Amino acid sequence: MIGTLLLAILLPADTIPTSSLLIDEVVVVSKAGEGQKRSAKGQVASIEEHLAELSHVDLVRRGSYALEPVVNNMATERVSTTIDGMKIFYACTDKMDPVTSYVETSNLQSILLNSGLNGNSQSTGNIGGSLDLKLRRSGFDGDAFQLGANAGYETNGHLQVYGVDGAVSSRRFYTNAGVFYRHADNYKEGGGKEVLFSQFQKVNVYDNFGIRLTDEGRDVVEGTFIYDRASNVGYPALNMDVLKAEAFITALSYRHQFKESFLNSWETKAYYNHITHIMDDTKRPDVEIHMDMPGKSWTSGLYSLISGSKGRHDVQANYDLYYNRLFADMTMYPGGAAPMYMVTWPDVGTLNTGVALNDRISLTDRQSLNLIAKWAVQWQKLNNEEGYHALRVFFPGMKDSYNQVIGRVAATYQLSLSNSQLSFGAGWGSRAPTVTEAYGYYLNNTFDQYDYIGNPRLKNESAIELNGSYKLSTLNSKLSISLDANAFFFSNYIIGQFENRLSPMTVDAEGVKVYGNLSHATIVNTAFNTDWKLLPWLTWSTRLSYAVGRDDQSDPLPLISPFSYTSSLTFAYKHFQGKAEVRGNSKQVNYGKKYGETATPAWAIGNISGQYTLLIQEHALTFRAGIENIFDKRYATYSDWCDIPQKGRNVYVNLSWTL
Amino acid sequence: MKKVLLLFLAVTTLGLVSCNSNDDENGIVIDGIDLSKDVDCCSAEEALQVYKFLQTVKIVPALSTEVDGLYNVWAYTKTGTLHRGYNDIYFVVTKKKTGNYVKNFDITNVTPLMNMVKMNMWHSTPVGPAVESFDETRLAVKHGWVSFLMNTSEAGTWQISYDISVLGSTGGIKDAPITVDALPAGQDWLKNFKVGDDTYFLSLVNPSDFVTGSNTIQAYISKKSNPITTPYALASETFTIEIDPRMPDMGSHTSPDNVALTKQADGSYKGSINLTMTGLWRIHLTVKDSKGNIVAGGDNQKDGFSSLYWDVTL
Repeated sequence: MIGTLLLAILLPADTIPTSSLLIDEVVVVSKAGEGQKRSAKGQVASIEEHLAELSHVDLVRRGSYALEPVVNNMATERVSTTIDGMKIFYACTDKMDPVTSYVETSNLQSILLNSGLNGNSQSTGNIGGSLDLKLRRSGFDGDAFQLGANAGYETNGHLQVYGVDGAVSSRRFYTNAGVFYRHADNYKEGGGKEVLFSQFQKVNVYDNFGIRLTDEGRDVVEGTFIYDRASNVGYPALNMDVLKAEAFITALSYRHQFKESFLNSWETKAYYNHITHIMDDTKRPDVEIHMDMPGKSWTSGLYSLISGSKGRHDVQANYDLYYNRLFADMTMYPGGAAPMYMVTWPDVGTLNTGVALNDRISLTDRQSLNLIAKWAVQWQKLNNEEGYHALRVFFPGMKDSYNQVIGRVAATYQLSLSNSQLSFGAGWGSRAPTVTEAYGYYLNNTFDQYDYIGNPRLKNESAIELNGSYKLSTLNSKLSISLDANAFFFSNYIIGQFENRLSPMTVDAEGVKVYGNLSHATIVNTAFNTDWKLLPWLTWSTRLSYAVGRDDQSDPLPLISPFSYTSSLTFAYKHFQGKAEVRGNSKQVNYGKKYGETATPAWAIGNISGQYTLLIQEHALTFRAGIENIFDKRYATYSDWCDIPQKGRNVYVNLSWTL
Repeated sequence: MKKVLLLFLAVTTLGLVSCNSNDDENGIVIDGIDLSKDVDCCSAEEALQVYKFLQTVKIVPALSTEVDGLYNVWAYTKTGTLHRGYNDIYFVVTKKKTGNYVKNFDITNVTPLMNMVKMNMWHSTPVGPAVESFDETRLAVKHGWVSFLMNTSEAGTWQISYDISVLGSTGGIKDAPITVDALPAGQDWLKNFKVGDDTYFLSLVNPSDFVTGSNTIQAYISKKSNPITTPYALASETFTIEIDPRMPDMGSHTSPDNVALTKQADGSYKGSINLTMTGLWRIHLTVKDSKGNIVAGGDNQKDGFSSLYWDVTL
């Protein structure tokens, strides 16, 4: 499945083909009322609130900031996240900073989700899916000057959001830039109890620009600059908070549009980004031992994407190359005694290069076949001696360099009939172990209270994916029903395994787990959606999803969503839109008890939201308001780390204004 | 052989011009040493090896002397000082005339003595079995060791004696006062245990060389002499020293795959220790005799660990 989510109403964007059932997209910025997926909070919504709109996406929450996207019940390890095709890797050994936390809504045009092995050309290791965060570009030949402003307030946690952006556009040049600021205090769970250490603050500055080298406009240079800094971020589910999470993201690309050729365009982009992540436990009253845990990640790379069409074929070929460096260490300060130091990510350099081919074949007017293949090879070197020697204690025969070959192939057939669409597909793909899985060192996981040690002897994990979907429009297109399902049959599934021989380093930890390969595992996801236009101004939508994850002994895998449902009524009248919804999960029955997971009880909450757009002399002023968790229920979802409760009742208002 | 010109400038010497060095046929020049052929002394290449080694250690003036006005005897330790526990001591002898290193000399009867002032009592301490060459590439450097039971304090002071014979001349030092420094907090490299009436000392060798990762761990077991003013020699019995390294500041966690210390041909005990991070490691000990009976430690105190331990802070 592929999906896009648009994120706002300001700027027209390059359209992204989303006709396929396999793509899902959430729109961040678009012209009003195009009927695509978007968050009820508009462009004031956080990236995570936008992500939550996508099918097959869940969020792991360790606090109220930097939620980790999970696609098809697979988290960061099995999901590729790129920013406009750029590789970027998080810098925190505790996953406090999924890379989606380093961009802001205002940076983006849309978020494109490719479910499963399909993946965008630049993604590697995406067994579960790939997210491409599409940057927002005002484009050439637009309004000469545009200005927009956003402001939002939420009662729960006193969340404040302020954003300003502007765009300049002409025949030869465009640029759009903006500043975004968020600030939140501790939020209150259902019932009114304050959740300590759930505050955050974030500043984001960005600029995109483009230059046409000729009047004809076939040669374009485009650039991107994003600076993002979160500070004083609380993580109630962890033992420490974040002093600073800072990213610097840049890219420069050159694009040529062909004329009268079977080639359409050729884009080459070079990029660089770096992330600094500094944790902080000095504000916690009850720390056993004070520690510093900084992490650094930097990535430099390029890709070159050429696309063309001939006859029935729509072909894209991509070459990409990147080099990433990950280093993290930890110093513990026992009162009065010598500090204890260790390297937790041994400055791992990863050089990865690959080629991808995508052929979209229109077999007939109604049938299409999509073929994707990617092959990549990667070299890894442990550049930190101390970290390398420490790991050798556990793996005496290990080397300081490794290489892996990874690839994926996928084929999807799609049939469109007058009232229905059908697709099915199959694929195979593999991924190399992540740096944490291969070389992580005593990384404490508060989810199961185990210290995790990486395993350099891990084999690549691979999976066969089968998927199918069916969408039916009936009752004069008033009712649409869709059903989709996918199944992943893993070989060498990578997961932390108990190692009773080892003693945990972290005080209060239950034990040590070392990453290992399970010979096989299975994850199956199903979703059932209906949209019923009861009246011209009233739509009733229902979304149901269910997933199953099993290990090699048919025991449940951890962090697999229980049955979940959303049912909503949407009203639309002139410039007013309103929505009332109920969402919930059933009790978690098949939880990964064996892996230290505890069952999460059932929950259900009600939300209402409304939106009104006022047009004053062509300037749109959009007013949004809503109440989340109206009945102030105290609840936690299966993916709330350590069962930290979700927000209680929250009233929000926000304003978006464009000039 | 390739002609290599190696220049070593002593830190204290600023100009080459003032040097009284002579080139030998290999073009080796060492500041302050006349490398002309001398059967008693090192060849230029041997001297270079010795010279290089001596850059890694520091002179202990209290242990250095001269013999017959002909030879200088230089004693070195890693830091130029002595501390409680095991100390490597290196000796070289140079001819006063040429500055070159004498190949053969004998140092014997190394006798450290502590005067326990308040108790008006004297005792010695564990001393290595011999002062001898330890490295074939630098035979002119002789190595011995002393493991001091205590540091110099109000309770007592140390003095040391040894004899030397070099190319027919004899000499040495007699009751030279020395200072033995205490180790910093978190370092405790010398422990003792009793079997019957006998007292044994466990000297851990140079744990300051330990790094994060896998390390060879070496120790000596010495036996208290009778009379106690005689240097304590290596125990003739064979033991096994089992180790259980723990981090008391971090939940007393341990590391895997540590290998007990067993007796080697040279009389030392060797094993291997895995240290997974820096900080204070408390190495709990269980000493077993040749039949496998526990003779010391392994008593699993309240905290579950042996009361006999070395402390090492990385």
